[in-house]
Amino acid sequence: MIESTVSYTIMSTDEPSHSTETQGHEHHEVKGPGYPTPAAMRTESEREKTAFVMAPRVGMDVDGPDFIGVVDVDPDSDTYAELIDTVEMPNKGDELHHFGWNSCSSSCHAEGLTRDYLIVPGQRSSRIHIVDAADPRQPTIEKVIEPEDVFEYDLSAPHTVHCVPGGKIVISMLGNADGELPGGFLQLDQDDFSIDGHWESDRGDMKMNYDYWYQPRHGVMLSTEWAAPKTYYPGFDLDDVENSKYGDSIHIWDWETKEHRQTLTFGEEGLIPLEIRMPHNPEETEGYVGAALSSNVIRFWEDGDGNWEWEKVIDIEDREHPDWDMPVPGLVTDLLLSLDDQYMFFSNWLHGDVRMYDISDTGNPRLVDQVWAGGNFGDRQEVSGHDIRGAPQMLQLSRDGRRLYWTTSLFSSWDNQFYPEIGEEGSLMLKADVYPEEGRMELDEEFVVDFGDAPGGPARAHEIRWPGGDCTSDVWQ
Amino acid sequence: MHRVTLEWRDGREATVDVAESETVINVTEREGVVVPYGCLYGACGTCTGRLLEGNLVHSERPRGLKPRHRQDGYVLLCVAEPRSDCRIEVGARVQADLVPNPWK
Repeated sequence: MIESTVSYTIMSTDEPSHSTETQGHEHHEVKGPGYPTPAAMRTESEREKTAFVMAPRVGMDVDGPDFIGVVDVDPDSDTYAELIDTVEMPNKGDELHHFGWNSCSSSCHAEGLTRDYLIVPGQRSSRIHIVDAADPRQPTIEKVIEPEDVFEYDLSAPHTVHCVPGGKIVISMLGNADGELPGGFLQLDQDDFSIDGHWESDRGDMKMNYDYWYQPRHGVMLSTEWAAPKTYYPGFDLDDVENSKYGDSIHIWDWETKEHRQTLTFGEEGLIPLEIRMPHNPEETEGYVGAALSSNVIRFWEDGDGNWEWEKVIDIEDREHPDWDMPVPGLVTDLLLSLDDQYMFFSNWLHGDVRMYDISDTGNPRLVDQVWAGGNFGDRQEVSGHDIRGAPQMLQLSRDGRRLYWTTSLFSSWDNQFYPEIGEEGSLMLKADVYPEEGRMELDEEFVVDFGDAPGGPARAHEIRWPGGDCTSDVWQ
Repeated sequence: MHRVTLEWRDGREATVDVAESETVINVTEREGVVVPYGCLYGACGTCTGRLLEGNLVHSERPRGLKPRHRQDGYVLLCVAEPRSDCRIEVGARVQADLVPNPWK
């Protein structure tokens, strides 16, 4: 199915990539589907010209399926900041959420592989779409793995997709076939997208799952915890927190043997640890996880003996709001690191800001800037004539670290609780210009993509990725 | 076959005929009536409706509902089969009833 063309050029951004075969070079120039180093990706790739944006319509009174939106982010284009294509899913109710690539920089030396296919799971449906994205302006659905084929492995609720070395794709799965615990990991083959089965060989005391990151040079993988699908699917209920139905731990796995090694339990300091990121430098054995409900950022590291430790490094204070009975937590829902590992960005979805931290001293992150847009505390509630429904949530940074984009929806049922207007009118995609040399960023008041105006009806824009890879898709060996 | 009347909060209404062996969502999909749904196995609550009149049974355990929801008449239409003519409140806003903002 994959036309086996080795790309000898730097796999860049926006050109159709099925037939990129050019003149031969020495092996050390062979880039396979990615970049040899994080710096190569940061400096040698072109500026992003289009974005893939997940756009669920699940849980809305809209007669349409979820879609993958293609947004023009090339300022020289006539259709800049517009939705230029929508690929509707064959079924309704998927809740497209997070997605990933068939291959990336982790398979840097795998000749014959190209970064051509997006793996696009439905969080609610458990359906997995394989999308041919060789032409980034016109992706097409190549294959659909139906929910029954996933349930056969007693797994459901697919979330994080990473391409991994060895020709495989691993997806974190949050529940069993009934939407209860435990979850696990589903492995697909990169060649034909068939299901291999569970990735893990021994899950130890891991029951809940959410996001994961891995550092193959050190043979380690770390996974986080949300809750059982039947718990978080219908909405956020504080009783479930009191009854310990939500996660407060992360799990350390042996990447080679696929066995669970250690559990780091944060307790009250780290309730609902969601997005986990490690530096792009493959030498590093530390990283950060955003604890959404506790609204803390926790740093974890290996102590040298293969044992992992943790500490809280950022604590977002709850804030009083005149219309709320209880103090409002920030809700740290997404977090990412720039490709040069110098800056961390994260969102406070209930407060309404996105923050930028200098992490050159990893144990002492330094707040350098923040942008307020929407939310419960932002002064700014509109951009370019569009009301901001929701608040900064899913983030994506340009490869060169100079543009930060985000969308404002979290999850259909949770939107309904906290920003119900998203369920009626859809969410937005916004952008800030980042000045890494100066340690600051600024909202781009000209850029807004209102998914309320999407063809066929409003949608909840969610995760964003660039053709060619980004700082949350790629891992280096 | 039972007559199932669907009512939205904006005043719209639709009626579909549902056999005892079919779920309400099966029929709304077939008939092109837009009622939200997600997982289709009773876990996610996207298809939540509120039974106003009549009798429905869940063909699978409605895991997405808590006991308090079931006492209040909420049903999951992706696994709900009628046992009599029914009136059901439907639409995305019904799902939002299940769990209000806990801090507001």
